[in-house]
Amino acid sequence: MTTIELLASLATCVERGKVNAKSPFPPDLKGQDGADEITVRALAEGATPQDVLTQALMVGMNRVGENFRDKKIFVPDLLMAARAMSASMVHLKPFFKSSEVRLRGTIVLGTVAGDLHDIGKKLVGMILEGAGWSIVDLGTDVSTQKFLDAVKEHPDCLVGMSALLTTTMSAMEESVKRLKEEYPATKILVGGAPLTHEFAQRIGADFYSPDPQGAVEYLNTITPMSA
Amino acid sequence: MTPKQRFLAVLNGTLPDRLPVTTHHLMPSFLATYPGGMENEQFFDMYGLDPILWVNAHMPDTSKGTRLDPTHVPGYLEPHRTVSDAWRVTAESLPHDRYATTRYTFVTPERNLTTVLQSNEHTAWVSERLIKNKSDIDIIAKYATLPLCDVNEVNRRADAYGERGMVRGTVACFDVYGQPGTWQDASVLFGIEELIMETYDDPEWVHAFLQILHARKTVFLESTKGAKFDIMELGGGDASTTVISPTIFDEFVAPYDSRLIETAHAAGQKIVYHTCGGMMPILENLADMKTDAMETFTPEGMGGDTNLAEAKRRIGDRVCMIGGFDQFHFLTHCTPETTRQAVRDCFTAAGDGGRYILCPSDHFFEAEPALLEAFADEAGKCTY
Repeated sequence: MTTIELLASLATCVERGKVNAKSPFPPDLKGQDGADEITVRALAEGATPQDVLTQALMVGMNRVGENFRDKKIFVPDLLMAARAMSASMVHLKPFFKSSEVRLRGTIVLGTVAGDLHDIGKKLVGMILEGAGWSIVDLGTDVSTQKFLDAVKEHPDCLVGMSALLTTTMSAMEESVKRLKEEYPATKILVGGAPLTHEFAQRIGADFYSPDPQGAVEYLNTITPMSA
Repeated sequence: MTPKQRFLAVLNGTLPDRLPVTTHHLMPSFLATYPGGMENEQFFDMYGLDPILWVNAHMPDTSKGTRLDPTHVPGYLEPHRTVSDAWRVTAESLPHDRYATTRYTFVTPERNLTTVLQSNEHTAWVSERLIKNKSDIDIIAKYATLPLCDVNEVNRRADAYGERGMVRGTVACFDVYGQPGTWQDASVLFGIEELIMETYDDPEWVHAFLQILHARKTVFLESTKGAKFDIMELGGGDASTTVISPTIFDEFVAPYDSRLIETAHAAGQKIVYHTCGGMMPILENLADMKTDAMETFTPEGMGGDTNLAEAKRRIGDRVCMIGGFDQFHFLTHCTPETTRQAVRDCFTAAGDGGRYILCPSDHFFEAEPALLEAFADEAGKCTY
């Protein structure tokens, strides 16, 4: 296979959630190489780590995000895609430190105070990581102070907040207001089942999307990825 | 019609006099705050909703050496726990700066299992899962007690309730913090993300786990024969397509819960399958389990995916539909006229021919009294 073909195959592995040769999923790819092996081959064949990121992983995860938005796939498919992406990223990590792989920037993610829901926020993190962002996941039940501390630690970051309970939307409002008071230039994205565009606007958030892919597309408009 | 007759009419597929209107669980924090402190029954009377009585009465199988746990004081909607010499539960409060935190230890002759629960004024959650190693399920299979339905207590309470409303039960959940559906119980005990991944990595183990939980629920359902429940709840939101795929539903949810429904029917009970989350991709799969009713038909505005009219068209002639009302947008922060229109919209979408109970799509934490009144009053005008 040529390098281009390997990268295309890697993108398919991510899209289909094919982790490695041993992985029985998806059944129609059983026994074939997965993201793990193909990444190694692509790098050995001369693909740069940046090529792997932008021409394979981001391509695959973008398809995943679009399919998830369009309700063609479900959370488990997304989890498997993220696992395949992680199997590839393991081989790229050494290049992060040497700056051979350039990420778009950092996004701090957290579910707001009083809210223990994790999976939606994690899915957003997986999709955004696949779009070339470094993710700092603060977890669930994140206090306003913890968000503030994270922004202080990552000065140029963006912030993503999640709330799944109507009772914790007020905590989101407080966190957004405090962050905007102290770091007015910091972009804040919000999401979660009970949220709306109107609510996001009212509390001063910069962007709301009902699905992760919406966040990717918004971020593409404000921070284009250079090849 | 009395409220009970009204509920039974729609559950049995006949026409009621008007649209039945009720709620799912009433949260203690809501009752303590909004109406200024009241009990369930007062709530139904104050707002004119058709009442529901939740009854969860368990008893031990003394022939198996089990007994009611003398140390257990049942909480809200919780049945009295059954224990044995080989399956005891101890509780220990843990210090925490924000939440009430309790570690529960299941003491067995082989080894102990632990789980940690936390709670705030609104709700409770698991912060440490009970199943930490795959072999932990063998401990459950070997030592967990099998609670039975206390039919006499159910009937005593049902008789006292009379025509006032519907008597609703729950398929036995796992001790301390469980859920009625087999998959949902497993999810609570092991963690949903972990459980999903194991369906790919070790599906045989997932099936073994589900079989253990299923066997426990089967024994309970068989013991409900003669109990005067109008409907019993099964399922849970982790079986919705907001969380899992139709493929996982078909392989890991439906085979177990459809057999429970069959067992319930053999015992003379009706089942409502609760799926708070995405339902549209699996509507027919749910109905194919031969459940008598389905809920919650959560609309998009609440994080679900339900198009109520389409759902009615696809499965409305097969099951009673419960829910579909957006309590976040129409029981708070709107005018009573908007609430009334939302009620009308639900009736138009799903009310045709009966087989529909208007209900918020799951419980709510907040609702404005004037909007609750409009909700119930407008439903009362939706006549057949």
